[in-house]
Amino acid sequence: MTNNPFPLPKDELLAAYRTMRTIRDFEERLHVEFAKGDIPGFVHLYAGEEACAAGIMSHLTDVDRIASTHRGHGHCIAKGVDVHAMMAEIYGKATGACRGKGGSMHIADLSKGMMGANGILGAGAPLICGAALAAKFRGDGGVGITFFGDGASNQGTVLESMNLAAIWNLPVIFVVENNGYAESTSVDYATAVDSYVDRASGFGLPGVTVDGTDFFAVYEAAGEIIKRAREGGGPALLECKMIRFFGHFEGDAQAYKAKGENDYNRTNRDCLKIFAGRVTSAGVVSAAEIALIDREVAALIDEAVGQAKGAPLPSARDLLTDVYVAY
Amino acid sequence: MTPKVGIIANPISARDIRRVVASANGVQIADRANIVLRALAALAACGVAEVVMMPERGGIGGHVLRGIERARGQSAARFPRLNFLDMKITGTVEDTRCAARMMALAGDVAVIIVLGGDGTHRAVAGDCGTVPIAGISTGTNNAFPEHREPTITGLAAGLAAMGLVPPAVAFAANKTIEVSIDGGAPEIALVDVAIVTDRFVGARALWRTETFRELYVAFADPEVIGMAAIAGLVEPVTRREAGGLALILAPAATAAMRVRAPIAPGLVEMVGIQSWARMPAGTVFTPALSAGAIALDGERELFFDPHQDVAVRLVDRAFHTVDVAAVMQFAARQGLLLDRPLEGARP
Repeated sequence: MTNNPFPLPKDELLAAYRTMRTIRDFEERLHVEFAKGDIPGFVHLYAGEEACAAGIMSHLTDVDRIASTHRGHGHCIAKGVDVHAMMAEIYGKATGACRGKGGSMHIADLSKGMMGANGILGAGAPLICGAALAAKFRGDGGVGITFFGDGASNQGTVLESMNLAAIWNLPVIFVVENNGYAESTSVDYATAVDSYVDRASGFGLPGVTVDGTDFFAVYEAAGEIIKRAREGGGPALLECKMIRFFGHFEGDAQAYKAKGENDYNRTNRDCLKIFAGRVTSAGVVSAAEIALIDREVAALIDEAVGQAKGAPLPSARDLLTDVYVAY
Repeated sequence: MTPKVGIIANPISARDIRRVVASANGVQIADRANIVLRALAALAACGVAEVVMMPERGGIGGHVLRGIERARGQSAARFPRLNFLDMKITGTVEDTRCAARMMALAGDVAVIIVLGGDGTHRAVAGDCGTVPIAGISTGTNNAFPEHREPTITGLAAGLAAMGLVPPAVAFAANKTIEVSIDGGAPEIALVDVAIVTDRFVGARALWRTETFRELYVAFADPEVIGMAAIAGLVEPVTRREAGGLALILAPAATAAMRVRAPIAPGLVEMVGIQSWARMPAGTVFTPALSAGAIALDGERELFFDPHQDVAVRLVDRAFHTVDVAAVMQFAARQGLLLDRPLEGARP
């Protein structure tokens, strides 16, 4: 593409938009379907935070590993996990990514480098240190990314992992997805060290804060941090300040948010609108191309929900399979 | 009316990508609070009784109050009374602008001490009206605030605020560069305006030299870091002389001339230069690039498309700062900080 002033070629810009649109529609649809009572367990929706997952994962391949959180659907989709398998997993069906045994908070696909969503806060950080250590020994150039929220950032596992990553100079990126609320507790109250960048510097790691609603801000910063890690520059921290459109979990009344906060954010801080506005006004992508992706993704999500609903449940015989893995 | 001093301390500065692509440092929140405490102690030593401070959610205020409380516990009353402005906190640059406006409107704030980088100082300068600024660098590229121990800046601010130094000595006029798109309200830069080929704000900082196309500087000091360093190494222009410098840049591989410039802390890069010329105050410059991003004081803030018109104009004597060096020299010569308790006493 000539005269493209963006850091990605047009096909990758369209791919990034498709990823963000897929996450958004996946989550918006789950919001509707969960209320019908057909989905077991809890779901924690990523809507509003898409630019973070897409901006970071645009730099990764299947050799790179990520460790996700309880709010992991966006990470899974951006890392390439099959949407049909994800939806089936959330419905607890045998065709799911983990054969229906994991559910929303434990979707994993090692073939894609997706080590799993995780219901335990801060548990991804030590896992990714292991994956990064393995990558370092293999010398395959792989990096490990662990996501955690502003709440989990206070877990000992996260802090211990930063120390481990620093002393072993591991290719790990610690991504703080700071949406301002640890469940319902404001970050202003709950975090004693006032800046996550300060916290990283306590371990000798460089830290960067970006606007997590701006795909290009995340993409640029993540690109430099990941490149540095691949080249042996060691671990770093990336804080993405972002917006959570829904509650902590589905059913959360969100009384802790200000009146009109969600409406304001959907109108003014929607990362998809910001991205689409920028690439179309620059004349690199047309509104018709955006609309086509919107239609295709809507059809994809319809299909995924339909297939998931019609899929069989795991049988009783499956209860004791996949419990242990022999290496 | 007893003059007050305002303090605007930005908790968010020095957090950008230059910690990775360069070797920029970060100033921790506790360190920023410590700087405020040092400035407060200096203000009290000059007789300043009351200080108003911008509230923020970054934690600086909390650490400062804790420090004052600890000193009180040690029976050391060495700080002025500290109040926080009653304003809504957004966690954005609007907080800085709002605080500057409130301090300017209050009418009794004689000087505003600013902690931040060039961006923070720019936000204050745009809204502080005629109230002079005393800058303390806690940002990344600190071309505008001079590097100095904050206690000294606090002393100079205090002496100036208390009227112990004539205004003609205490305060210096500064230039700004205004940028407007399609005739809209201008944004300002205190040090430099760069036009780059990116058409997005992204991670804001500038470090990819191949994207640099034009540069306008209010002053060009070979001792500063950032975009202004490029100009400073070509043709120095002081803060105090009239006008600035306009440069046409190009990728180093194709440029007729190249300069090795410190464009970020620890990052010395070859930058291509096609030409340069003086930039008289009041003259409107129009970038040749038809579309791109505009970086104000080293950070991409705006972007423009081919159908938009961009105007760049230097303004002389746009706002005032405390001339710390001049104040301290005056204080020394006039003995403003001397005390002779035994003078006149019989042996």
